[in-house]
Amino acid sequence: MINGHDILTVSGLNVAYGESKVLFDVSLTVRPCQVVACVGRNGAGKTTLLKSIAGFLKPTSGSIACDDTNLVGMAAFAVAGIGIKYIPQDKKVFSDLTVRENLELGSYATKDYDWSKVTTYFPKLRQLMDRKAGYLSGGERQMLMIGRAILGSPKLLLVDEPTEGLAPSIVSHLREVLRELAKKAALVIVEQNLPLVCAIADKIYALNEGRIMAEISDRASIRPEVCEKYL
Amino acid sequence: MTDPHLLVSGIIFGLSMGSIFFLMAIGLSLCFGLMRVISLDQLLYYAVGAYITYSISLATGNLWLGVLGGVAVGALAGFAAERLIYLRIYERDITFSMITSFGVLIGGVGIIKFVWGLVPRPVPMPIASQLDIFGTEVPVYRLVVVAIALLVYVGIWLFLNRTIIGKAIRAGIEDVEHVEGLGINVYRLFSLTFIIAGGLSGLAGGLHAPLIMVDPQMGLEVLAFAFMIVIIGGLGSIKGTLVSAFLVGQVVSLGSLVYAPLAQMAPFAIMLLILLIKPTGLYGSLLLKR
Amino acid sequence: MNVVRWWWGLVLAFGLLALMRFFLPLPFANEVMIFAIYVMGCNFLLGQVGFISFGQPAYLAVGAYAAAFYLYYVGSNAYVGILLGIVAGIVVSLVIGPLFVKLRSDYFALVNLALAVIIFYLMQKVLAEVTHGDNGLWFLTNLAATPVLDLSRPDQFFIFSFLVAFALWALYKYLDDSIFGACCLAAKINEDKLTFLGYSNFNIRLAAFVIANTTTALAGAMYAVYLGFVSPEITSPARAADPVVVTILGGVGTLYGPIVGSVVYTGMKDLISKAVGNWELVIGFVLVVIMLGGEKGIWGSLQPRLQQVFARAGIFGRTGGDS
Repeated sequence: MINGHDILTVSGLNVAYGESKVLFDVSLTVRPCQVVACVGRNGAGKTTLLKSIAGFLKPTSGSIACDDTNLVGMAAFAVAGIGIKYIPQDKKVFSDLTVRENLELGSYATKDYDWSKVTTYFPKLRQLMDRKAGYLSGGERQMLMIGRAILGSPKLLLVDEPTEGLAPSIVSHLREVLRELAKKAALVIVEQNLPLVCAIADKIYALNEGRIMAEISDRASIRPEVCEKYL
Repeated sequence: MTDPHLLVSGIIFGLSMGSIFFLMAIGLSLCFGLMRVISLDQLLYYAVGAYITYSISLATGNLWLGVLGGVAVGALAGFAAERLIYLRIYERDITFSMITSFGVLIGGVGIIKFVWGLVPRPVPMPIASQLDIFGTEVPVYRLVVVAIALLVYVGIWLFLNRTIIGKAIRAGIEDVEHVEGLGINVYRLFSLTFIIAGGLSGLAGGLHAPLIMVDPQMGLEVLAFAFMIVIIGGLGSIKGTLVSAFLVGQVVSLGSLVYAPLAQMAPFAIMLLILLIKPTGLYGSLLLKR
Repeated sequence: MNVVRWWWGLVLAFGLLALMRFFLPLPFANEVMIFAIYVMGCNFLLGQVGFISFGQPAYLAVGAYAAAFYLYYVGSNAYVGILLGIVAGIVVSLVIGPLFVKLRSDYFALVNLALAVIIFYLMQKVLAEVTHGDNGLWFLTNLAATPVLDLSRPDQFFIFSFLVAFALWALYKYLDDSIFGACCLAAKINEDKLTFLGYSNFNIRLAAFVIANTTTALAGAMYAVYLGFVSPEITSPARAADPVVVTILGGVGTLYGPIVGSVVYTGMKDLISKAVGNWELVIGFVLVVIMLGGEKGIWGSLQPRLQQVFARAGIFGRTGGDS
């Protein structure tokens, strides 16, 4: 179902690692500035889904379209180039480079040197500019990863488990940041943290063993207990 | 005990050998660091660089022109290999690139044989003068070689640390996917790296040519050395390659003063020792499979 | 296990080889036989364990010099010489194996090359008094006629090497089909899973390492006996390429790849050297083409087709594994 208002349409996606299939016939839609969450247990295929959309994995069949542009077969850097940014879950930044240099790389391809948007969300980074990124804490790294990705004003952010392993105070900060980001970009968030996800999501997809089990678009029904049922 | 004159010339000899080793090995190290491929064909560009230098210096009488030509052809050859071959094998594992690049190296030896024939050729030395250092006569050419190698190192350092593309490459050495995720065309980075690597290997060949005779097997003969130097220093570390290149250079040079038969063998024995203690080399980090 | 089906492939292949003996010159046949045994080890290492080694000549030298020392200095029985070669292979592999198999694949390739270089210089210069350096050890005249099969005679030697090869192939096939073979494959694909299953990656790799290199040492000892002479050239860095190239040529990890590869390589080398004269160009090109084409090699590509043919002909019912 292609809706002219959708910023992302995934249809019948099948992805495999070599011989073993990971995603079976996955379909989802995302509207501009909509917050869509994908929940599921470990190994359900959530990261595979995001990576496939971002262009790091080639699906065996199915389609991925953004504003009528077919993304399947595009190199990952090209996907990023049209405004879809992937923020991986590994909390890795370029440790040998400084925070400043990390951001410079974010600016390089997007030609966006206005870092005020980054420092507005993450004022702490301003003090850390000349620190080697390898010395940052987990929370600071997550901030840097997101900060790097929003340069160039992407229209869709694919965020993979942003709060994993972070302290509660940082988690709530991130929740507010994600809420703010959603005003300018659509978000597809993969998360295990159900309360957080239910607080900000407009729509939830529940994934289990590579299949979409449920799609919950009714805001009233978006509650942790409801999600649990499908996992 | 050893004659101090011998010691000084031994050290200088070792430094110049180390310089050539460094230029030879840096291509291998860079290609592995960024693309996780073992590019044994770099030794082919070394040999090609030497042969081009030979031909051009024979035609024009100017070695430096020849070296320039060697660099250019080396860079071009590296670029061609990347576009034709490596592009298709980035996703495969390391063993794959080892075997394939080895095939390129061997095939290249065949091409050299075809074009230039089997007979080793001498290359005229551009600077015949000697300098007096601590009372020993030292060939100026060897000092020039050392100077060039150090300049190259500084140049690479500046490139990697002061230019955005260099920083992108350093970032890519850590994690290529993250770099690509930022919208940067990493495939252009790969091509650039191969061009630089090929050029530097060609430079090594060109500079080395006057010191030895060029022969078709020369790439294969130094293969073990180059590979070993990169391993000792740690694959992917530029500083490591420099350190280990000069270390090996001194071991071979001073070692031959002490006990000649052992000298050629010693670096390999040292490498085995280092790998036993630190399996990833002196400066290598635990660069696991991507 | 269907006995007929298990053996028929081996019998067929070796039947063909035996035929070869009558159509091709004896020296060629002998060379191919020994070379095939040599490559067998390399193929095992690469195909089963996923480790490439640029230094197989080192183990060749270990076996060859062990046999040579015996035959030059001590006795004249070729059987004993070969046996000593095997023993030397086992000992050396067990000593350095634990250190080598812990390394990552590219480091592994390199340390083996380093070993080959070290042994080369050891034999050429350092131990020159004992090994006579580049002149080598000559003991052809020392060889006494041996009972059953007189190894000092080329035609009887061929029978011997043929039998050895056959026995080895049967052994490898057995290993391949056994749990060990499955473990090797698993170790290559997913180390972590194998550890979770309770197997030790290290032990598997070590066992494969010892088996492969002892086979190589055996080949070395056989070279020594056949040629009646050993020199450091056997492990010169230039020779490091041979087993790698042949393994790829024949098809990595297949049972008959080494045989096919050896025949083709030895034959080609001879032909091409005479016809074209530029051996390296051809082999380099071929290697790259094979790798880009999917690294299946000659036998590797042929095998599935042959299986289809046999299946369609209805011979032996459905296709078995690598027959």
